[in-house]
Amino acid sequence: MNLRRSIVLLLAAASPLASQGARDRLAGRVPPATLGVLDSIVQDAARDGLPTEPLIQKALEGGAKGVAADRIVAAVGASADQLRSARALLSSAGESRPSDPGEVTAVAAALSRGVSPQLVGRLSTALPGEPAGPALHAVADLVGHGFAEDSSVDLMVEGARLGLRGLRFLDVAAAAVQELQRGRSHAAALAAVRALLPQVPTPPRPAPAAVSHARRVQSSHERP
Amino acid sequence: MSHIDPQVHRVLDGEIPADELNAAQREQLAALTRAAHALSALPRASVAARVMAEVRRPPQGAGVRLAHWLTERHAVTISFRPVWSLALAAALAAVAVIPGHGPGPVIGDQEGIAQFVGRFPGAKSVDVVGSFTDWRSGAVMLRDDDHDGIWRGTVVLPVGQHEYMFVVDGERWVTDPLAGRYVDDGFGRQNALLFVRSIAR
Amino acid sequence: MNSPRVLPTDRELSDPEVVARILSGDVEAFGIVIRRYESGLLRYATRMLGHPDAAADAVAEGLVRAYRHLASCRDPARLKSWLYRIVGNRCRSHLARRSASDISLEDAPPLPDPSDTEAAAERAEQLALVQRALETISPEKREAFVLKHVEGLSYEEMAEATGERIPTLKMRVHRARAALLEALKEEP
Repeated sequence: MNLRRSIVLLLAAASPLASQGARDRLAGRVPPATLGVLDSIVQDAARDGLPTEPLIQKALEGGAKGVAADRIVAAVGASADQLRSARALLSSAGESRPSDPGEVTAVAAALSRGVSPQLVGRLSTALPGEPAGPALHAVADLVGHGFAEDSSVDLMVEGARLGLRGLRFLDVAAAAVQELQRGRSHAAALAAVRALLPQVPTPPRPAPAAVSHARRVQSSHERP
Repeated sequence: MSHIDPQVHRVLDGEIPADELNAAQREQLAALTRAAHALSALPRASVAARVMAEVRRPPQGAGVRLAHWLTERHAVTISFRPVWSLALAAALAAVAVIPGHGPGPVIGDQEGIAQFVGRFPGAKSVDVVGSFTDWRSGAVMLRDDDHDGIWRGTVVLPVGQHEYMFVVDGERWVTDPLAGRYVDDGFGRQNALLFVRSIAR
Repeated sequence: MNSPRVLPTDRELSDPEVVARILSGDVEAFGIVIRRYESGLLRYATRMLGHPDAAADAVAEGLVRAYRHLASCRDPARLKSWLYRIVGNRCRSHLARRSASDISLEDAPPLPDPSDTEAAAERAEQLALVQRALETISPEKREAFVLKHVEGLSYEEMAEATGERIPTLKMRVHRARAALLEALKEEP
């Protein structure tokens, strides 16, 4: 099952029931005075066909962190704006399914990490029909370690050309950062990883003992 | 790496006097002493005014204090291990695991494993709170069974993108310094960002 | 008529006495703590972070935190190592967030002032050279060397400031000396 479907399964799609679901999930978790305005932000997003789960999550997060009511509202509003911007970018980049909730959420998160909006277009062109989110996050990983954005994108485009998809872009970023931490310059690190493509290492598997000791998380939000 | 004569170490640790050293040993001692002397220059800056302005502010209500505290950056004692790197942080994401045999959960193909670890000596509890717990506490409690200050936990999570923070002793929100990937939470702090991979590849 | 009470000067008050004053509500007494420890803490943070501005932030944040949590300082006679611990935590937090090549022009070592005396300029150059060498060694070794040989903490004080055991710290200091010596050899 490919990454796109798995992300869709993770996130609740926007639906007319989203709003009632939001009130139920937020009641008792956010300052009561914010319920009305948060509900209207979620309703507006649902009407616009945007994913609502990230907005509900942001409100729950603010409530859990004890943040002041006005800051929760501001943050949820800002999240809605980020989702709108992400979808607009995907549309203008010619994405065939710009409203895919998983893709919109992933791109919004990547943009909030500081990648330039025009990268969405570049990567969409390099990865037609593929989600841009993972590659954008990989670029954000590299930029966070001081790599130039353009060179980082070039590396991802080269990886895409050689068949890399999905979270493998994160492995490309991780390999470049490792080279940096071994003492190479940024340029040398990128060159070293380019020479490895597409055979960048994948993360090691967790030990069997770790798997057998893994616990399930009890969450009130059921996956569809 | 340079080898330093054990006698030089003993002098620097105050165990023996310097006049017991030979010429070569004295050279090493001198180089290190010069370095320490250079580093002992005192900075001219002062933070006194800034700190006193902050501490003179009238006390606020508990809610406001908590909100300020949560929105400030706070550090915990974390020992740095050079082996931790983004690559290893990416290893916290799930990889293909053969499900089924032995104890433990059966892991579906839309799920993976996430391993959390942090150094919090003296902590009484360490919780992982994030998008996968609906930002509720208590769902993912780390454990420090050997009381070495290293808290660990392994959980099954859905495939995809997750954000989280640690909560120490039920009240102190801490960004995971080993996550390697962060996103602003919109409240003045940073969440760690985690990608969980599917079992099936 | 009572004779005027002679108040003890800053120097005459011990750390426990200063802490007691602050905890009884004398906010201004925290100024004594700042005057007493600020220089050393700023020097420590500057050696750890390499950037004077980041160091000032780490120390200011640390001192404010120390003020707010002063009641949790279990042994005020060990205030010094408690403060180094708090500021050390802030430094580690700053280092954790910094990217590998995060050096901008603003962070570059200050240019020598032409009005500096030759001796002062030479000292500044020597400091810059050693600081560069210091930054090539790991943060743990860097901290160990600075606490021991620059801030002059005993191994017991270092143990309180870092939470590490003394044998671990001794080994770290020994390795730091070797690593620094090696790094200094490679400086032009």
